[in-house]
Amino acid sequence: MSKYAMNGITLMQYIILIHASQVGTGIFSLPRQLAETSGTDGWMTVLLAWIINCLAGWIMLLTLRKYPDFTLLDLLSHLFGKWLGKLLALPLIIYFASFGLVIMVNSMLYIKSWFLTKTPAYLVVLLFAIPSYLVVRNGLRVQARYIELVFYMTMWMPLFMLIPVGEGNTLFLLPFLKEGWLPVLQGLQKTVFAYAGFEILFIIYPFLQKKKYAIHGFLIGNTLTLLYYLFITIVCFIFYTPDGITTLNQPVLSLLKNIEFRFLERFDMIFLAIYLLVVSKAWIIYISCAVFSTAQIFKKQDHSIFSGIYFLFAVASVYVMNPTWNQSEEWTKLLSKAAFGVMYMFPVVLYIYVRGFEMLRRGKTG
Amino acid sequence: MKKLLFALLSLTLFTTGCMDKMNIEDVSLSLLIGIDLDENNNLIFSTSSPVFSQEAKIKEEVYISPAITMRESREEDDKTFMALTVGGKVQAILVGKRVMQHKGWLKLLEPLLRDPKNSITGRIVMVDGNAYDVISYLPKDKPRLPLYLTKLIDTAHLRNICTKTTLQDLRRATYESGITANVTEIKKEKRLFVTGTALLGEEGEYKFSLAPTENKLLRILQHDTKGEFSFTFKNPNQPVGEIFPATAYSFSTSGISVKTKTDYVSDKFKFDINVQMRVVLTERLFKLDIRKEAKKLEQEIEQEMTKRMKKLIHKIQTAKIDPIGLGIYARAYEYEHWKPVKERWGETLAKADVKVSVKVIIAGMGISK
Repeated sequence: MSKYAMNGITLMQYIILIHASQVGTGIFSLPRQLAETSGTDGWMTVLLAWIINCLAGWIMLLTLRKYPDFTLLDLLSHLFGKWLGKLLALPLIIYFASFGLVIMVNSMLYIKSWFLTKTPAYLVVLLFAIPSYLVVRNGLRVQARYIELVFYMTMWMPLFMLIPVGEGNTLFLLPFLKEGWLPVLQGLQKTVFAYAGFEILFIIYPFLQKKKYAIHGFLIGNTLTLLYYLFITIVCFIFYTPDGITTLNQPVLSLLKNIEFRFLERFDMIFLAIYLLVVSKAWIIYISCAVFSTAQIFKKQDHSIFSGIYFLFAVASVYVMNPTWNQSEEWTKLLSKAAFGVMYMFPVVLYIYVRGFEMLRRGKTG
Repeated sequence: MKKLLFALLSLTLFTTGCMDKMNIEDVSLSLLIGIDLDENNNLIFSTSSPVFSQEAKIKEEVYISPAITMRESREEDDKTFMALTVGGKVQAILVGKRVMQHKGWLKLLEPLLRDPKNSITGRIVMVDGNAYDVISYLPKDKPRLPLYLTKLIDTAHLRNICTKTTLQDLRRATYESGITANVTEIKKEKRLFVTGTALLGEEGEYKFSLAPTENKLLRILQHDTKGEFSFTFKNPNQPVGEIFPATAYSFSTSGISVKTKTDYVSDKFKFDINVQMRVVLTERLFKLDIRKEAKKLEQEIEQEMTKRMKKLIHKIQTAKIDPIGLGIYARAYEYEHWKPVKERWGETLAKADVKVSVKVIIAGMGISK
């Protein structure tokens, strides 16, 4: 029995974990960013990016399949030796940790600009940190349960996006491929941050109980994200005119501002407050991946101390830096570049290395 | 572990509530905002807010002040209003005709679009006259003005007497090169009147007004066939009455379908708008056997309708605007030809060939024969 079986997760949880880690704050500005480069053909970019992600995840799983009980750190130590392995794992841990922090900072900025304008940034992050800590300090199974619960609880949310669609015009989407394929391909880089998340496969794979469905689960989770993004992008493109969408920072939130009931105005506020639960799923997974791997480096079974340190550090760094929108956008750009490496380049390199490594070994023993 | 948790939880004690808490008594909600220009072209802003006080006799606070921008006018208001002015509940933005006649007046609405605390569902209304005259109007037989005004516009919109344009709609129409905006138009004489729809140019400048009957036609051409469409025509083939309008008849529609076809022939855009209407007679002051002569009446309605629509389209083309949104069709179906003329779509449409054909079916004649 593997040492991770104690914390094993079901296939459903595995699917939702992959989906949850992808859907975070990127979605708010995704339609605008796509429209900036690809115009109203941006939804095709979402589709194309999905194909690429499926391939990338498949390559990741090809490598992981050979070592079903190894997490990233185990794998790297196995391949490169104890010290080099740890050293190589370090950038990835930093990547996971900073991803979690940036998602928290982004959410904090949204909250601050939409309804808590005068509340200090660190207080908002502190309020995120306390419940998150209570989830993250536990094993993966507890986190998976939390994320599954939140997933079911927030499934109704995209449906509200359909309310303003009636005022839109589907003609805005026509003609397809206005300027040919080039802008559609150029938009691909914009989707990296929104789609980033399935690299957590490196950490959660050994916990999956039924490994033979790993690829199926991954494809379902990724497709769920695709449907989500495709839906939101098309709704925004139909509602906003092709020239108008690029003038809004977060078209999705502005879209929600139009929803008004007889008994309730400013539905966007309520929506954003509840959407925090959805975003919390993303940062919780990233942070837990980071602290779990850190605990492994120090050969500790319990990672609750590291998660405590992480959240204290997060609150302190927000207190010190007091991030602005522009800073956070810079970080997001930087992370998108890092995510590009971790999601697309690293798996391929690792796969080739593992193949070579095995051939070498077989040659030695045989 | 427990200790750490305890420490964290005790921290929450210090973070009770949020820093920007505001009591409703301290808030003055601007429900109406007015923008005007005086004789020397200085901007004048006016605000109307409800007063939450039992002792106040008049439950409305109105203040008219000159200011450079809308945001600055808020400070002016705060100087005299009991509470702090906020824009989160704006129901209508009244813009004087003199302001709208200038290009680029839309910039004045910037703060409403930028600050996320402001609502963007307020109606945009052009006032034929001064906006502050409307805002300081305190009718005795009506509920408070903001409620009355919004209700007036909303119900008039249901009968298609005017359009209803929210700030969001206006924003979309101005950023879209394939359509020009139109807003509700009101007038204050002894009382308030909805006079129809004001059509704006590509940069928001006022072009001309549509009467309620023309507004209905515009809405049909826009494919926006919600609400009630009621027309009263005069039948030219009937003998004219002496005092009473013996040739008049009215009908309302029970279903309209509109199809717009786009084409590009010999360096010109070509639009074919086909309207199909099912109508129900609601009034007829002359004798006619509908069982036998329905075809005749249908043709008459068709001719009259086509004539009126052509007239409207001609007016629109002369003014070089596109409130119908034909540019959206041009982009969707003739992108190659649309792209070079995108920036001067109004002029291009003026040269375009727009055809209208109306098909009418009398679906019912009511309970009298």
